Amino acid sequence: MTAAGVGLTAASVAAGLAMVAAIAAPRRLRVAAVGGLTAASAAAGLVAALAVLTGSGTVAATMPDLLPLAGVRIELDALGAVFVVAVAVVAIPAALYGIGYAAPRSTGHGASGRSVQATLPLFVWSLLMVPAAGSVSTLLVLWELMALSSLLLVVADHRHNPAVRSAAHWYAAMTQLGLVAILLALVVLAGQAGGDSFAAIRDGAAGVGPHARSVVFVLALVGFGSKAGVVPLHVWLPRAHPEAPSHVSALMSGAMVKLGVYGIVRVGWDLLGGGPRWWGLTILVVGAVSALFGILHALVATDLKRLLAYSTTENVGLILIGVGAAGLFAASGNRALASVAVAAALLHVVNHAAFKGLLFLGAGSVLHATGTRDLDRLGGLARRMPVTGATFAIGALAIAALPPLNGFVSEWLLLQALVHSLPSSTALVAVAMPVAVAIVALTGGLAAATFVKAFGTGFLAMPRSPEADAAHESPWSMRIGLCLLAGVCVALGLAPTALGRPLTRAVAVLGPLADGRPVRADGVNLELAGIQATLSPLLLAVGLLAAIFATLAVVRAVRSAPTRRGAATWGCGRSVQTARMEYTATSFAEPLQRVFDDVLRPDLDVHVDHRVESRYYVEAVRYRQGIRDAVEHRLYEPVLRAGRWWGRTARHLQDGSIHRYLAYIMVALVVALVVAR
Amino acid sequence: MSVAGLAAAVCQTALVVVVAPFVVGLMRWVRARLEGRAGPPLTQPWRDIRKQMAKERIVPATASWVFTLAPLVLVATAVVATGIVPFLTTRSGLDEIGDLFALVYMLLLGTVFLALAGLDPGTAFGGMGSSREMTIAAVAEPTILVAIFALSVTAGSSNLSAIVTSTLDHPSTVASPETMLAFAALAVVTLAETGRLPVDNPSTHLELTMIHEAMILEYSGPDLALVELAAHMRLVVFLGLLSNLFVPWGIATTTHPLELLAAAGAVCAKIAVLGIVIATFEVFVAKVRLFRVPELLAASFVLAFLAVTASFYLA
Amino acid sequence: MSETLFVQLLDLAVGLVLVCAFVVLWRRGLGAIVHALTVQGVALAAVAFLLGVHEEHAELIGAAALVLVLKGVVLPRVLLRIIRDSDETREVEPFVNVTASLLAAAGLTLLAYATSRDVVALDPGPETSAIPIGIAVALIGFFVLATRRKAVTQIVGFLLLDNGIALVAFLATAGVPLIVELGVALDVLLAVFILQVLTTRMRAKFGVTDLNQLRELRD
Repeated sequence: MTAAGVGLTAASVAAGLAMVAAIAAPRRLRVAAVGGLTAASAAAGLVAALAVLTGSGTVAATMPDLLPLAGVRIELDALGAVFVVAVAVVAIPAALYGIGYAAPRSTGHGASGRSVQATLPLFVWSLLMVPAAGSVSTLLVLWELMALSSLLLVVADHRHNPAVRSAAHWYAAMTQLGLVAILLALVVLAGQAGGDSFAAIRDGAAGVGPHARSVVFVLALVGFGSKAGVVPLHVWLPRAHPEAPSHVSALMSGAMVKLGVYGIVRVGWDLLGGGPRWWGLTILVVGAVSALFGILHALVATDLKRLLAYSTTENVGLILIGVGAAGLFAASGNRALASVAVAAALLHVVNHAAFKGLLFLGAGSVLHATGTRDLDRLGGLARRMPVTGATFAIGALAIAALPPLNGFVSEWLLLQALVHSLPSSTALVAVAMPVAVAIVALTGGLAAATFVKAFGTGFLAMPRSPEADAAHESPWSMRIGLCLLAGVCVALGLAPTALGRPLTRAVAVLGPLADGRPVRADGVNLELAGIQATLSPLLLAVGLLAAIFATLAVVRAVRSAPTRRGAATWGCGRSVQTARMEYTATSFAEPLQRVFDDVLRPDLDVHVDHRVESRYYVEAVRYRQGIRDAVEHRLYEPVLRAGRWWGRTARHLQDGSIHRYLAYIMVALVVALVVAR
Repeated sequence: MSVAGLAAAVCQTALVVVVAPFVVGLMRWVRARLEGRAGPPLTQPWRDIRKQMAKERIVPATASWVFTLAPLVLVATAVVATGIVPFLTTRSGLDEIGDLFALVYMLLLGTVFLALAGLDPGTAFGGMGSSREMTIAAVAEPTILVAIFALSVTAGSSNLSAIVTSTLDHPSTVASPETMLAFAALAVVTLAETGRLPVDNPSTHLELTMIHEAMILEYSGPDLALVELAAHMRLVVFLGLLSNLFVPWGIATTTHPLELLAAAGAVCAKIAVLGIVIATFEVFVAKVRLFRVPELLAASFVLAFLAVTASFYLA
Repeated sequence: MSETLFVQLLDLAVGLVLVCAFVVLWRRGLGAIVHALTVQGVALAAVAFLLGVHEEHAELIGAAALVLVLKGVVLPRVLLRIIRDSDETREVEPFVNVTASLLAAAGLTLLAYATSRDVVALDPGPETSAIPIGIAVALIGFFVLATRRKAVTQIVGFLLLDNGIALVAFLATAGVPLIVELGVALDVLLAVFILQVLTTRMRAKFGVTDLNQLRELRD
C-alpha cells in the first residue's frame, strides 16, 4: 500500500473512532476526543493528498462488496488531492477549534450534543473522500453523505434559534435540487460513455455526442454550482453559513463549496475532456457575476458571518473566472495560458480555504465572546481579544489580496493569465478579457473596502455595546485553530514557489487545459509558462520588514528623547467621545452603497418627526435601511409564491369528506380506464 | 539579482525619500505663486517633518496596535514601491521581485492600513475619512489594473523594466492612441490616489470635505511625520511612474554610477515638470462632490478600457 | 509623409474622434459638450486631410476643408447660439446616469469592434482597422439621442451619428466624391437649422427644451 493509501485508510479509521467516541465517551471528554480524532483524520487525509501531490504514489482501490450493484471505487489523483488539501487545511484547525467552541459550558450552542458531535467527523470524512471518489456511484453516495451531514450540523442550534430552521429549509431544498441535477448529469454521462468508473467514462467520453455532452455540462454546472454558491444559486449561503456553528461554517465555506468547483472541473475538463468555447464563456460569465454580486452584498452586510458568506460567493466567482478563462483559452488554442489560469484557480481554492476558514473561526470567537455577530454592535475587540484580533487581521488582509499574504499570489496569477491573452486572441477573448480584468479589479478594490470595514468596525475603536465591552479572549484550543490557519495564510503567501510542482501535477490531470509547467520557481521568484512576468512574494515581505525596521531605527536615531503619552482621543477638540459618535459598519459602507445604488437598490425609510410649533424644527429622525438580495427577491420569491398558491389551492381537494375521497378514487379509475383503453 | 542592481535600487529609494518632500514643497510654492502669495520655501515640508520628529508622540487611549503600526507600514510600502519602480535604471535589482500589479497592491496595502488607523481612534472624522478613502480606492482599482493591462499588451509583460525597455526600443509607441489613453487614465487615477484636486483638497482642514487629512487627524509627532513623508513618497512614486512609463528617455540602461547620476537628474526634472503641471491645474479646478468622484473615475476607466481595446485592434 | 508617421497620425486623429464622443457623454455642461463636438469635427477633418495627403487625392483634401468649416466652425456657432439664447446650460438629469452612460458606451465600442471584425479582415490595413471607431461613434450618437433630454444634446447626438458615418465613409472608401459630401453637409446643416427652429418654438411653448415634454403634445 502506498503512503497515500495508508493516509486515506488512517483518515477513515480516525473518523470512525471519532464517531464512536462521540457516542460512547462521557460528556466531559466527548468534545475533546471528537475534536482531536477529527483533526487526526483530516491530518491523515492531508498526508495522503501531499503524498499524491509530491508524486510518491497515487491511490486506487475498489471495494466491490461495499455498495450493492456498483461497489465502491476510490481513486485519488493530483486534482482531487488539491481539494483534499483545501479540505484538510480548514478541517484540522476547525476540529481543534471546535473543542473550545462546542464545549458544554459555553452557552447558546447546541453543538456539544451527542448527535452533532458524531456528525462532525462524518462530515469531515465525507469532505475528504468526495475528491477521492473514483466512480459515479461512489461520488453520488459520498456527496449525499456530505450534504446530509452538513445539514444536520446546520440545524445543531435549532432549539435556541428559530432562524436556524428557515436557513435549514433553504439549504435542504437547494442542496437536494442540486443533487438532482448532479444525479441526472452523472447518470446521463455514465450511460452515454458506457461505464460507472471514471476511468471507463474517460475512455468512452470521446464517443458521446455533442448534445449529450452539453446537457451533461449544463446539468453539472447547475448541480455543482448550487453547492459552490454561484449566483443565482447562492441564496442558501447567506442563510446557512451565519446560523451554523462557526467551525461548521468554516468547513462549509472553506471546504464544501470548493467541492462544487471540483465537480465542475472534474466533469467538464477531465471526464468530458473539455468542450466548445461557450463552456468557458458561460463559466466566466457566471464567475464574474458571482464575484461582483457577492462582494457588493458583502460590502453592505453588517452581520459578520453573512458578510463572510457573501464573500465566499465572491471568491468562488474569482475561482470560476480562472476556470472559465482557462476553458476559453484552451478552446481558442492557447494551452499555456489555459494552464496558468487553471493553476491560479486551484491555488485560490487552497488559499480561500485557509483565509475563509480563518475568518469564520475568528467570527466564531467574536460570537463566542460577545454573543453577537452584528458589526454595528461590536468594536474595540483588538484590545480585548489580541490573538483573535491579530489573526482576523491577517485573514482580512489575505482575503483582500494584499501582499505578502496568500490571497495576493493567486489574484496575481489570475490577473497575469487574463492580461496576457492577446497574442492569440480571437474576438471573443479580446472582448471578454478586458471586462474580466475590470471585474476582478473592482472586486479586489471592494474586497479591500469590505474587510477594512469588517476588521475596522469589528475590532478597532471603542466597543459599541456592553457585550463587546465585556468580551474576553477565547480558550486555548480556539486560539490554536486560529493561529494554525493564520500560519497557513502567511506560509502560502511567502512560499508559493513550493507549489509549482504540485500544481503542475494537478493541472496535468485536466488534459485539455494542461501544458508543461504553468508555475515555476526560479529561486524565490515565481515564473509562469509563456508569460514574461516574475514575482517574489518572499522578497517583497523581506523588503517590507526591512523597511519597517529601518524606519524604526531612523526614528529612534533622530529622536533624542522618545516620549509617548496616551491621551483621550482628540477628535478636533471634542470634549466627550462616546461610542455613538463612531462610524459604524453601515455608515462606513454608505458611500459605496450610494455609488452602486442601481445594483443594490436598498430600501430606505427616512421618517422625520417635526415639532408641533414649526415644521422647521425637527423632533426626531428615524432612518431604517434594508438591502434585500435582488436575486432572491426577483427570482425565488415569485416561484415560492406560486408554490404556496398551488399548495393552498390543492388543499381544497382535501376537506375531510370520505365520500369525496371515494369519488376521487372513482374518477381516477375512470380516467385510467379511458386512457388505457 | 546583482549587487549593482541592488545598490541602484537602494540609491533610487534614497533619492525618492530625499526628493519627495521637495517635490511637494515645489508644488505648494507654484500654487502659492499662481494665487499671488509669496509661498513657503521648498524646504518647508522637510522642516515640518524635522519639527514633528522632535515632538511628543500622543496616542489616543482607545487606539490599538494598528494605530502604532500603520505609519510604519505606510512608509514601508512606499519604500518597497520606490524600489520596484524604475526611477533610475531599467536594471534595478528589485525589478523582478514585483511587477506593476505587485506595485499597485503594495500601495493598496498602505492605503488599507491608513484606513484602519483612521477607524482606530473611534472619532467620527477618522471613520469618515477611512470610508471615503476606501470608496475612492475601490472605484479607482479597475482603472489602474485595466491601464496596466493596456501597457502590458504593448510590452508583452507587466514587469516595469520590460515596459520601459519596450518604449525605449520603439519610441513611436508613445504617440499611439493606446499609450496616450492609458496615460490619461493613469493621470486621473494619480490625482485620486494621491489625494489631489479635484478629488481631495490636500490643503483643507475643513472637516466635512477632507479625506486624507481626516484619517490622520489623531496622529502627532513622529507618527505624523512618517505619515506625511509616506504621502509625499507615494505622490512621487505615481509621478515617477507616469514620467518613466510614458517618457522613459534619460533613464539608465546599465547600473554605471555616472549614468545613474544623469538618470537621477533626468527623473527629477521630469517629476518637477509633472508636479508643476499638477499644481497649475489645481489652481484652476475646484473639488468635485464626493459622489461625482465615481463619475470622474468611470471616465478614467473608460479611457483605460479604450486603451486596451485600441491595443487589441489597432495593433 | 512616411508610412509609420501616417499610421500614427491617423490613429491619433481617429482616437481623438472617439474620445470626444465619450467626453460628450461625460460632461454635463452644454458648452463643454459643444466644444467636444468641435474638437471632434476638427479631428474628423484631420482624418480626411491625412487620407487625402497620403493617397494624393485632391477631392479628399477638399472634403477635409469642408468638414473643417462646417463641423469645426459653423455648427458649433449655431449650437452655442442656441445655448446662449436659452438659459439652460446643463444637461441636468439624463435618463441614464453619467457613470452608466460611460460604461454602456464602452460596451458599445466593444460591440462595434466585435461586429466589424469581419469587415476589417477583408482588407487589413491602418485605415480599415479604424473603421470600428466610426461605428462606435455612430452608436454612441444613437445612445445620446436615446438618453439625453435637452434639444441641444439631441442635436449633438445627431451630429455624433453623422460624424461616425462620415468617419466610416472616409476610412472605408477613401472618401466619397466631393459632391456627395457636399450634399450630406448641406443636409446636416439644414437639419441643425430645423432643430434650432424647433428648439426655439419649444422654448416658446414650454419654457424648456426638454424633449420629454413633447409627450404633452399627444393629448
